[in-house]
Amino acid sequence: MDPITAMYVAQGIHGLAYGMVLFLIASGLNVIFGMMGVLNLAHASFFMLSAYLGFQFVSLTGNFWMALLLAPVATAICGVLMERFLLRKVHAFGHMGELILTLGVAQIVLAGVKSIWGSESLPLKMPPILEGQVAWAGLNYPVYRLFIIGLALVVMAIMALLLYKTRLGKIVRAAVSDAGMVNALGINIPLVFMAVFGIGIWMAGIAGVAIAPILTVFPGLADQVGMDAFIVVVTGGFGSLTGAFIVSIIFGLLSSYGVQFFSQFAPVLIVGFMAIILVIRPHGLFGAREG
Amino acid sequence: MKQTARGVFILACILCHLFSSAYAQAPAKAAFDFKSIGDMSDFDPTNPIIPTGDTIKIAIVASFSGPAALVGQIYWASALWAAHDINKRGGILVDGKKKLVELIKADHMSKPDQAKKITERMVLQEKVHVLWGTDGSNLQKIINETANKYKVISINTASLSDDLQDATNFSRYAFQSSMSADQLGRGLAYYYGKIKKKEKKFYILCQDYSFGHVLAEGFKKGLKEYYPDAQIVGEDFHKLFLTDFAPYLEKIKASGAEVIFTGDWIPDAANLLKQARQMGIALPFAHIFLDEPNFLHEVGVEGTKGLVQISQYGSANPNFKTPEHIKYYKTWNELWKNKWKTPPFNSRLFEHGTGNIGSYIEQTYWLLNVIARAQSTDPERIIKVWEGDSYQFTTGKVISMRACDHKAIQDLTILEFVPPDLQKQSFNIPPYYWYTGAAATGPAFTIPATSVLPLMDPNLDRCKGKSAAG
Repeated sequence: MDPITAMYVAQGIHGLAYGMVLFLIASGLNVIFGMMGVLNLAHASFFMLSAYLGFQFVSLTGNFWMALLLAPVATAICGVLMERFLLRKVHAFGHMGELILTLGVAQIVLAGVKSIWGSESLPLKMPPILEGQVAWAGLNYPVYRLFIIGLALVVMAIMALLLYKTRLGKIVRAAVSDAGMVNALGINIPLVFMAVFGIGIWMAGIAGVAIAPILTVFPGLADQVGMDAFIVVVTGGFGSLTGAFIVSIIFGLLSSYGVQFFSQFAPVLIVGFMAIILVIRPHGLFGAREG
Repeated sequence: MKQTARGVFILACILCHLFSSAYAQAPAKAAFDFKSIGDMSDFDPTNPIIPTGDTIKIAIVASFSGPAALVGQIYWASALWAAHDINKRGGILVDGKKKLVELIKADHMSKPDQAKKITERMVLQEKVHVLWGTDGSNLQKIINETANKYKVISINTASLSDDLQDATNFSRYAFQSSMSADQLGRGLAYYYGKIKKKEKKFYILCQDYSFGHVLAEGFKKGLKEYYPDAQIVGEDFHKLFLTDFAPYLEKIKASGAEVIFTGDWIPDAANLLKQARQMGIALPFAHIFLDEPNFLHEVGVEGTKGLVQISQYGSANPNFKTPEHIKYYKTWNELWKNKWKTPPFNSRLFEHGTGNIGSYIEQTYWLLNVIARAQSTDPERIIKVWEGDSYQFTTGKVISMRACDHKAIQDLTILEFVPPDLQKQSFNIPPYYWYTGAAATGPAFTIPATSVLPLMDPNLDRCKGKSAAG
């Protein structure tokens, strides 16, 4: 492969890697919205919290894999507690209460991480096995970014299995369509909601730990990716995992090839794409019409 | 004709030499007073002793929350040090009465609307005498506008855009004691063209806002002036607080660049360097803010050696030239080791009261010194003293304030980052290194002020007919 072709191929893989991270965050947000109708403004804050917990686990154990396993679970538990003791109480009063509550939780998480870990940048080192580059046909590519793509695919496969091959998945899909009817059949809908909320936060948590070695862990981490994830959900269609996946990949590729070919306009491309999609399909690429 | 040209050239050289000699030899009107430095043993930025009542009030306008929250803490600790020292000396005699210096945190959250709100609140409710700013030229512009509107002094210690003091934005009340973007760009070009004379291919990657663009223009202009053989092989501007630098770095890798020129500050600076090294890009960075020690340690000695920084605080080697300067350094460093136990002040970032921290401290000392000599908080009296003023830093460097457009004229320093065993040429006191886990300052080179005079807007009436020294 000549250097120019290698560059174009590498840009494609960079796009995929970033798209996969976006998907992990956005899909959690989307699952929660699709199932519960809750727009969780604290979602990116949980992503950040998981990165901090990952840093803490690595500091204590020196083991990245332990952090990747435990930090998202610990973050999901925080999310579950939030759903059980806060969100559930305001759910009945409509979306405004939920929005304000989740915004408040985002501020609490931010204040919490700052008081515990401070405002400086913290390092989360990648495991030595994932350091370095792989060389293939003239292309040198960082192993860790390939790992991120693989990790996201594994999480996506787990989600697909859970949704389409398990009883819980059937209940979730049914509840998305008509929660009242599922409840009438004797299914404990609040419990299912809690589980879905936890899974959504867990996915964001995985993204938080996975991206930390590339970025620095600091209090602005949520702001850095939160808006991009939100744009993915809006453009893909609220509640649509397929939409979130496709749009995440498109955004990732637009980011990398945008920089390559239209560097000046790269940041505008994503927003422009969103605008065009929303003009043509106001509910997003795969969003369902209300009513 | 040829002889005439040669004559003009020789005359120009003589004039240039005379000007630079005159500038270099000009004694400062005031200097930092080492001898009466206060007892700083109770100084702790986490638990500051802030006087109240009839004080000299200074609002530290910075991002204390949001992505750049750490920057606010750096400013806070730096300005607080100077204020604490002056307060321990008994304060400043103004309007016939000794007054202590009171600092107030003003969080602009890196947002222009918030910057407007908070600066107006500081002036109208808190009745501050000085607005001290800030990270982000767009935000400093708002601070200066507020200063101009309500006739209070503003000092710009950190924002680097030249247009802050141009014909459109100039305010009599605003003073830029920081470096400026054009100066920095030209200074780095001077280093590569006149001192290093090795690398020739440069890739510019800066943040996409006024500072990044002016910096890049300054560098290009400097290369034309000092290094005509140099080549710009690529130029990109990325959005602030970018997550993924890989697409830009991929282009750089393919461009054949020998140096990456960047003005990025944290968190972008950290992520850029880290991701470059992760992608196997070992190129040196010519930079201003790639000096945050926590991420330098994360990247390690190998990944950080060869970085080239342009600095306002640094000086020619050795860094510590006088017993007084050593005493100042040790006082800060001992407090960091033994007293400051709370993040972020207990981290490596605050280990040395030098670099950017040193620069903010010195600029604050200058401001307080000007107020002391004005013997008043009346902005008109402060302006009268500060215009054309000169002041000697703890490092021995002299900085002066150009009267016509309120921009600082000063030597700048280039710092080459080297492994720990080579750092003693700069860090000439025990333990003879800045850091063990990262490359840091070794060789240092002075860029003379005359080669990096700040831009002067020819459309600014006050500067018409003035020399480059204002």
